[in-house]
Amino acid sequence: MIKNYNLTLRTSEQSLEITIPDDLSVRLALDIAGIRVRAACGGIGTCGACTIQTISGEFSPQTLAEWQKIPEQDREKNNRLACQLYLQSDAEVFLANPAPKSNWKSLDLSDWSDYPYPPYNIDKTIYAVAVDLGTTHIRLSLWNRQQNKRIASRHGNNPQAALGEDVLTRLDVHQQRDQELESLMQIIRSAIIEGVRDILQRDMGEIKSILAKVGLVSIVGNTAMLALLSGKDGSQLYDPTNWEKPIDCTADDMDEWQSQWQMPNANIVVQAPLAGFIGSDLLAGLMAIDICSSTKPVLLADFGTNTEIALWDGKQIWLSSVAGGPAFEGVGLVNGLTSEYGAIRAVQKTAHGFTLDVIGEGEAKGFCASGFVDAIALLREENIIKLSGRFADDDHRAQGYYFAENHRAAILKPADIDAFQRAKAATASAMQLLLQLANIPLSSLSKLWVCGAFGQHLNIKNAQTVGLLPTIEYEHIELFGNAALSGCEKMLLNPENEQLNKKLRDTLQVVNVSHHSEYDDLFINQLRLKPFVEDANV
Amino acid sequence: MFEQYVKDYNEAIIETDKEAAIAVVEEAISNGVTPEEVVFKIVMPAVEDMMQLVIDNLDTNLAQHFMTAQIAAEITEKMLAQFSAPPEIIGKAVIGSSFGDLHSLGKRIVMGCLKSMMVDVIDLGVNITAVDFVDAAVEHDAQVIAVSSMMMHTATGEEGSLQIRELLHERGLEKKIKLIVGGSPFRYDKELYTSVGADNWAPDGISAAKIICQLIHEVKAS
Repeated sequence: MIKNYNLTLRTSEQSLEITIPDDLSVRLALDIAGIRVRAACGGIGTCGACTIQTISGEFSPQTLAEWQKIPEQDREKNNRLACQLYLQSDAEVFLANPAPKSNWKSLDLSDWSDYPYPPYNIDKTIYAVAVDLGTTHIRLSLWNRQQNKRIASRHGNNPQAALGEDVLTRLDVHQQRDQELESLMQIIRSAIIEGVRDILQRDMGEIKSILAKVGLVSIVGNTAMLALLSGKDGSQLYDPTNWEKPIDCTADDMDEWQSQWQMPNANIVVQAPLAGFIGSDLLAGLMAIDICSSTKPVLLADFGTNTEIALWDGKQIWLSSVAGGPAFEGVGLVNGLTSEYGAIRAVQKTAHGFTLDVIGEGEAKGFCASGFVDAIALLREENIIKLSGRFADDDHRAQGYYFAENHRAAILKPADIDAFQRAKAATASAMQLLLQLANIPLSSLSKLWVCGAFGQHLNIKNAQTVGLLPTIEYEHIELFGNAALSGCEKMLLNPENEQLNKKLRDTLQVVNVSHHSEYDDLFINQLRLKPFVEDANV
Repeated sequence: MFEQYVKDYNEAIIETDKEAAIAVVEEAISNGVTPEEVVFKIVMPAVEDMMQLVIDNLDTNLAQHFMTAQIAAEITEKMLAQFSAPPEIIGKAVIGSSFGDLHSLGKRIVMGCLKSMMVDVIDLGVNITAVDFVDAAVEHDAQVIAVSSMMMHTATGEEGSLQIRELLHERGLEKKIKLIVGGSPFRYDKELYTSVGADNWAPDGISAAKIICQLIHEVKAS
């Protein structure tokens, strides 16, 4: 039986409260939380870099590694190795010397089960890397294929996000100025390898020799990112004739790429996007949930700058992609943030008004998408925002709504609500269109998967209040934050990947909403902040 | 009584409540208000108010524009069917998204407003070639070609408005058919419309309808 304890971490600059299970080392818990200890081994106590001082609470007994690595006078000051340290009660620790701030954090994959694949029988290139390349985030994991074991995972920001507000803006940049292409490509490639090296440095303690033993890198992502990554001309995305067919994202400079990454033996596979605006991240998501194994209809939505929708009707997969605008990535809003420190990830209504759940417990710096959905839904329930999306009150219309007094970072502005309305209407109407085309009533859905980083903290009830998600039974909805990475890992490890990949691709029916005149009506109808129900007045 | 209908209708419009707007209109009709009065004295002034609101405050909610225009168009269409004599149409426009552009929604706002202003508007759809725009305008005897472009390259591309201008020039149609453009690229550069050969532009769908009406009057006056 796993117990959870509260850990208070202090450094000279900040403090942090996290809840951690008793079977997770303090080091791994902090890797996820983002204030990392120094480390140069895989958490096996051989480098001694992760020293941390215990202040109060009960901990696991000292290990042999700690006796060997911590000088006696430090041990007497209650210094321990974070990688050897487990909580046995609520506790407080002090970290005198945290690792430098990094773009990279570990993913919390603790509730993922193992994949049922046999270990690979290979001697040399035993390592493999799975990468989910998103517009704003990169997620990746390093695997030992011989042992069928995930060594570590990371997520970090995609640095190209700073160059334009959404994918199309960036492609516009890229189409207008040719030299941008090369630099965008390099920015993205450097970011990915930096994430891999972060794992090697902190979790394996050696870099170059391991890189040489990487035999496979599998990369999924949205079409625009993959086109940029492989140095392709992004303008092919613009061509409407390419909307419904796969886009070539094979890199022409493989030798150079391998040598840049110091991976001479790696087969770097950019998983081909499914269509102009439907990336291979969606394919990975479909693999992650094993969509075709269901005998009943299944709907999947991957929210992002482009929101992709897939509907399995028992025979084929209907797919589409609509512009979510930046509303679902948190960026582009007046106070929008990605899921980062200081982001309001949830808003609750209590007897004393609204309370904000801020990532990292510090002062709120803005809303990430899930907090944003809560904010709109709660104001809607209170009739502070009307069904039309307008504030009821003149003052709110002029200044927005302050969720914390005098705190500008916690304002919700009318323009934010407008952006949200359009994004949610685009998504809901795309779901509606696919359901209509496949002739599937909402009530017969056996499952609705909500993927993307957006899904991780989403309050389903609130999402249903404003019509972002259809009103179906709560237990039929599953949130799956890192679905694309999971699917990409399956591609890496499943010996039958190729057949499965092909089978999935063969069952796809890509729907371009702009070729369906009824889509516009559905869209306009879904703009109001009302629940998305079966007879949505089509 | 009539004033109350106008007030209630405007309230429903600002709340984008289609059911309420239709209910107001139905009540008005059942109490003897004519369909003509509904269109010319209730629906049309509400659209014009909305235009003024947009001009006064550029930040008005885009989601609301969609819904308002849609309601206006639907009610106008219902009422037109009940007119005692065919309505006098002030003119015709063909509208579409430019070549290479699949964005269909922007022009919806324009179309909704135009319908309620008694402009006959023919929707050509998305990804429309320059030749198709011009041919359709000639075929329908339209005074205006309205081109929606949501991406920079479709707004400024050789096969878009530029080519429409060329065709109008070649065929000697420039006095008979005016070209208006709209869409997000034009909002970033307010002079962009001249470099793509357009006669005018509009920053949003609602004021586009107003400018299209002006262009129709210009053509008819000349």
